[in-house]
Amino acid sequence: MADLEIKDLYVRTEEREILRGVNLEINRGEIHALMGPNGSGKSTLANTLLGHPTYEITSGSISFKGEDITEAEPHDRAKAGLFLAFQYPVSIPGVSVANFLRMAINAKREEPIQVKEFRTQLQHAIELLDVDRAFTSRHLNDGFSGGEKKRAEILQMAMLTPDVAILDETDSGLDIDALRTVAEGVQKLHDEQGLGALIITHYQRILHYVRPQFVHILMDGRIVLEGGVELVERLEREGYDQIRQEVGAAAGAVDDGV
Amino acid sequence: MSEIGDALNGSAAEADAADGTTAKAKAGRHREATLYHALHGAGAGDGRTLEELRAAARDAYDSLELPVWRRSGFWTTSLADVDLDSLSSAGADSVPEVVARTLPDAPFAGRIVQSAGAVVHVELDPALAERGVVLCSLQDAFGDHPELVAEWYSKRLTIDRNKLEAANAAFWEGGVFLHVPQDVVVQAPFQIVYAIDRAGIAQYGRTLVVGGANSDFRVHEYDLAEDFDGQALHAGAFELYLQDGARCRVAQLQDWGSGEVYDASTRLVSIGRDAYCHWLPALLGGHLVRQHLELVVTEPGADMAFRGLFFAEEHEHLDVFAVDLHETGPSGGDVHWRGAATGESRASFEGLIQIDPGAQRTHTYLQIHSMMLSPRARIDAIPSVLVSADDVSASHGGTVGELDESAIFYMQSRGLDRAAAVRVIVEGFFEPLVAELDDEALEEVVREKVAAKLAAAREDIETYATSR
Ligand SMILES: Nc1ncnc2c1ncn2[C@@H]1O[C@H](COP(=O)(O)OP(=O)(O)O)[C@@H](O)[C@H]1O
Ligand SMILES: [Mg+2]
Repeated sequence: MADLEIKDLYVRTEEREILRGVNLEINRGEIHALMGPNGSGKSTLANTLLGHPTYEITSGSISFKGEDITEAEPHDRAKAGLFLAFQYPVSIPGVSVANFLRMAINAKREEPIQVKEFRTQLQHAIELLDVDRAFTSRHLNDGFSGGEKKRAEILQMAMLTPDVAILDETDSGLDIDALRTVAEGVQKLHDEQGLGALIITHYQRILHYVRPQFVHILMDGRIVLEGGVELVERLEREGYDQIRQEVGAAAGAVDDGV
Repeated sequence: MSEIGDALNGSAAEADAADGTTAKAKAGRHREATLYHALHGAGAGDGRTLEELRAAARDAYDSLELPVWRRSGFWTTSLADVDLDSLSSAGADSVPEVVARTLPDAPFAGRIVQSAGAVVHVELDPALAERGVVLCSLQDAFGDHPELVAEWYSKRLTIDRNKLEAANAAFWEGGVFLHVPQDVVVQAPFQIVYAIDRAGIAQYGRTLVVGGANSDFRVHEYDLAEDFDGQALHAGAFELYLQDGARCRVAQLQDWGSGEVYDASTRLVSIGRDAYCHWLPALLGGHLVRQHLELVVTEPGADMAFRGLFFAEEHEHLDVFAVDLHETGPSGGDVHWRGAATGESRASFEGLIQIDPGAQRTHTYLQIHSMMLSPRARIDAIPSVLVSADDVSASHGGTVGELDESAIFYMQSRGLDRAAAVRVIVEGFFEPLVAELDDEALEEVVREKVAAKLAAAREDIETYATSR
């Protein structure tokens, strides 16, 4: 059984159905890329995996490390070792990055983390992501630039050491240097800690720095193509429209066009 | 989160509120919906002796009914349920437990405690006494320092606007007098405590503080009660006069506990030439609390920061009227309040900026932020502006918020449970003001009280989320 197993997942909001039978398996130590055009349901999948209350699972299941978490509370999923780097991180005024990290780390532990141990870990993460020390005393995401928010997400990921992380368009809004830092950070956590990652993107850019072993293409709420890194190149050549036509013709499935 | 904003600028009738909202307003327009008025210098003192004032107040007391205030829009603050006949303003001889439990274990310059109708503890740093600082009961001050007291007593406080105000002026006993003479600078706070230790008490608190020219000091007032069953009353009158160049930080921590405690009080801070005051009431509990808080700039060059926070829970009823009054200019004003409500509590905050004719070159800003933590709680925030000068700016803004579910989900996705996430949000909401207390020990007391209230309201907040 895979560490994270998504089976035939159907998800809807009040208005309409968004995911229509998604199947996906991710293990620790694996890097997956999930690609797809805007509006195909990538963020919906990411949020659903962490239990966002807006998204209703109408059928299918999610299991993590052998446990069915389809109905689990978000914080229990986090404690079990899932992590989501948000596409649009929200600001939390009044609490510093460092204090928030301490709370999040302590939420996972019986005994609160020792001050010294926390400092060492924080220092390590700061260096990995090439951020300023002062950064960690600012209020979380409050007044952060787009790039700072994305770094703060990966900083949290580094500190919380999840087994499987979902990175929702962490690459968008980053300049090339920031993108490289963030991508190398992810690669390093994978190499050193065996992080499993689902990198959501609709560009190819980030995949030049983190090499995925598996690539999935999501369109209209379904995974329509799967393969290795060669899929990224094909996508680069052909574009989503052509792929849509091909899979549409082959499967006759994507018929209600969006 | 929705934003409310409005602005008035004497010359252009248009200004930018600091939170980015732009709006137009006509002078006076806002007053229609409001209930309260500034005292506006209408002091009763005016050369009369204490005995004369007590007698006049006694007459007013006899002829007045218990106050009921009604504002259109279904807001009523009624003290008609206070059973004055069953309450007594008896004396006391010991410091109630709640005082020791609440006051921080930190250095202080002086401490005076009134329980029920008597001062039960007075303590003053001898070095300060030597430099002329006076801290004693107001009763004693009338005997020992008549020359200091006579000039200021009830100088700007009225005695007959309502029955409870009259009761205070007629019947007060004990009371607090603090005088910090010219040029005396004190870092540690003077602590003034009013405590009610049991039901059946009517406490008429009366405080007079005078800061001499260029003095610099802090006042921390604590209004505390044990958790008892039954009724009690605190009708308080507080006046603080800062003379030229004086600087003062005033904090008030009020938590009347879970008893049926009514509080109808008036607090007035008057700031002289080039003086400065930072005033921060933290109103954290009481069955029914009505506070008239007035900060008056009386001489040119004065500046102030008027802060405040409140947290209403269960069935509490809180009615705050905060006035930033400028009698002369140039002067500055900066009013910033934050309040939260849980349970079925009701809170009303009327904030008024009033700029008198001739108070030219006055610049003020009023903001009020509120956060509803229960579907049955209600906060009315009513800012208004009354401007009678043309070379001024006065604007207001604020937010009315509910819990931000996306922020809660964000924190949950990091492993915090819902209650912890809510706590982070609410503490973060109050933190900018709590930090301004600029006193580590007092800040901790306020943070702990807020945390305790949140913990108590946990179920309520839970229900709120699932009900939406
Ligand atoms: N909370 C929501 N409420 C309503 N519609 C939503 C919500 N979230 C997503 N959608 C809709 O679902 C579709 C997929 O959105 P999303 O998952 O954000 O796509 P992607 O991340 O691939 O761009 C879009 O049409 C979007 O408008
Ligand atoms: Mg998205």
